[in-house]
Amino acid sequence: MNRPAGNLLRSFLRRSFSTAENIDGNLQSSKVQIFDRDLKRKQRDRAAWLLNRKDSLVNTVADNLVDRLEDVKKTFPSALCLGGSLEAIRRSVSGRGGIEKLIMMDSSYDMVKLCKDAEKDLSSDGIETSFLVGDEEFLPIKESSVDLVISCLGLHWTNDLPGAMIQSRLALKPDGLFLAAIFGGETLKELRIACTIAHMEREGGVSPRISPLAQVRDAGNLLTRAGFTLPGVDVDEYQVRYNSALELIEHLRAMGETNALVNRIKFLKRDTALATAAVYESMFAAEDGTIPATFQVIYMTGWREHESQQKAKRRGSATVSFKDIQKEFGGQTP
Amino acid sequence: MVRGSRVVEISKTLSEILVCPLSKQPLRVCEKSNSLISDAIGVSFPIVDGIPCLVPRDGEIIETGDTQSDYKVNSVDAEKDHKTK
Repeated sequence: MNRPAGNLLRSFLRRSFSTAENIDGNLQSSKVQIFDRDLKRKQRDRAAWLLNRKDSLVNTVADNLVDRLEDVKKTFPSALCLGGSLEAIRRSVSGRGGIEKLIMMDSSYDMVKLCKDAEKDLSSDGIETSFLVGDEEFLPIKESSVDLVISCLGLHWTNDLPGAMIQSRLALKPDGLFLAAIFGGETLKELRIACTIAHMEREGGVSPRISPLAQVRDAGNLLTRAGFTLPGVDVDEYQVRYNSALELIEHLRAMGETNALVNRIKFLKRDTALATAAVYESMFAAEDGTIPATFQVIYMTGWREHESQQKAKRRGSATVSFKDIQKEFGGQTP
Repeated sequence: MVRGSRVVEISKTLSEILVCPLSKQPLRVCEKSNSLISDAIGVSFPIVDGIPCLVPRDGEIIETGDTQSDYKVNSVDAEKDHKTK
């Protein structure tokens, strides 16, 4: 009884995925698993316990992201905030963009719980908040139900970024806004170099310690591929200074940004770790002894299609030759 | 085992917009087990302290003696087939 039901479920899932429109292909088998999403959940649980509300990097990024709401005249009564720096977004959002209802989602229960508990300190701004635990890759939100989707530093851990973005687009109402910040490929380049050198030196080979991240040029393609209109991408680079390389690792842990690659090697020799810190310090330390780390943040904006938006005409749809433009429009004074 | 006996209602906003993360079909609140049930695929998702947990891994396949859920799966399946044809 048990097993056939399981098979049935599986075959149903497979079928419903392959027929689901817009979600390309079979989500379950064909996608490459780069990140261990379960581990990431646990890391985010840990990040909730270590959360530092005064983390200037996270606060700056969240503020910068939410600030974009003030650049548009539209208001966003209902907003969905996806994982990442949930708590920082909640604090920056108050009073901006006309948000009345905020739905906060994260894959980690502890993180969501933390936000829920923090709510009573913030409840004066009149935003109705609701909370749920969910996975960006399997967004449990009805189609066309929110005006805004915000994701701050969370989406770079999804295995299927285009899929997650397509689901966000579907969750948006027409003319809804998708706003996301992800870490870009230049992030932690110093650590990448130091890790590689230390590993070569101590272990005679390298293993992936730092996850692959999207490049700036990919971001625009991602937005277009996910079907957003009026895509916009911009990049900011932040340099954070630490007293030592170990402090950097502590910071990454508190943000829940530690290694979650499926192919990672599950231990790190003490020797190699110390060598990495030493290489990092000798190669990159500033004159005052502090250690810089680069964080590149890619900000992405995209809209769900709506007829009120401006758009380019279809290629080949012109009726006037460029040669005749002068003749055709030249006579009119603007 | 049901975690926590008291039933905490989920907010109206949530109940309006939540769907099953896998099938994107509507969910039904089951007050007895304090969970959200996706009839389309026969999976229940727990509500812990008023927070619905809709990560696919948190879901449990409902193993009831009756064939109601199987029947539902079949009927939805058939409907889908019908639509795609």
